Amino acid sequence: MNQYEVMYVIDTALEEQARSELINRFSNLVAQNGGTVDRVDEWGKRRLAYAINYKTEGYYVLMYITAPADLPRELERNFRIADAVLRSLVIRFEGPIPAKREPLKPFVAREAAPAAEAPVEAAAAPAAEAAAPAEAPAEEADSEAPKAEIE
Amino acid sequence: MSEDRGDRARRPRGRKPRRKVCTFCVDKIQHIDYKDIARLRRFTSERGKILPRRMSGTCAKHQRQLSTAIKRARQIALLPYTTD
Repeated sequence: MNQYEVMYVIDTALEEQARSELINRFSNLVAQNGGTVDRVDEWGKRRLAYAINYKTEGYYVLMYITAPADLPRELERNFRIADAVLRSLVIRFEGPIPAKREPLKPFVAREAAPAAEAPVEAAAAPAAEAAAPAEAPAEEADSEAPKAEIE
Repeated sequence: MSEDRGDRARRPRGRKPRRKVCTFCVDKIQHIDYKDIARLRRFTSERGKILPRRMSGTCAKHQRQLSTAIKRARQIALLPYTTD
């Protein structure tokens, strides 16, 4: 039994129900072939770094599994058959499963960002009169900028 | 970089300027994760190419890990192959 890290990208055109069915299907496939699914992380909608079949968005799913050595092959075969799977990656993974973290914010978070920035600017305007507190909002704005770049 | 060049001119032939230190060794990172795109981005050029060791200062061990991590990220469309 080996530990594997499986990541795949589902077409966003797929409806929510069909998508969760697909995710369940892959999880069941692991279970049926003598493996165990340790964790499934759904990253959600993300912008793709390059267009795949003229699509600019994908739904990212990350799965940690413990499975016999012949499973990745079967899993990859199924990924290729499923039309809605744009990309998949299965790699060997060692050590403890990392704690759930979200350095990669979902694509949707971008819409929330301008709303969060607006009050900062509003706060900066009255603060600009007093020289000392004006620096604080400026720093906040700086810390927000790199986040936007990552997305 | 311009400072380095000036330095080199003054030094005797063959001696190199101070070596950059590997940021992965400094941060004590054992394994470079392909999902950590914020970090990986810093080791790619504007066009999406992997930066050479001489530019990033990464040690050989980490550069090998880094290149596989970037290539994995590209496969799954987390990082671009090229950008124009």
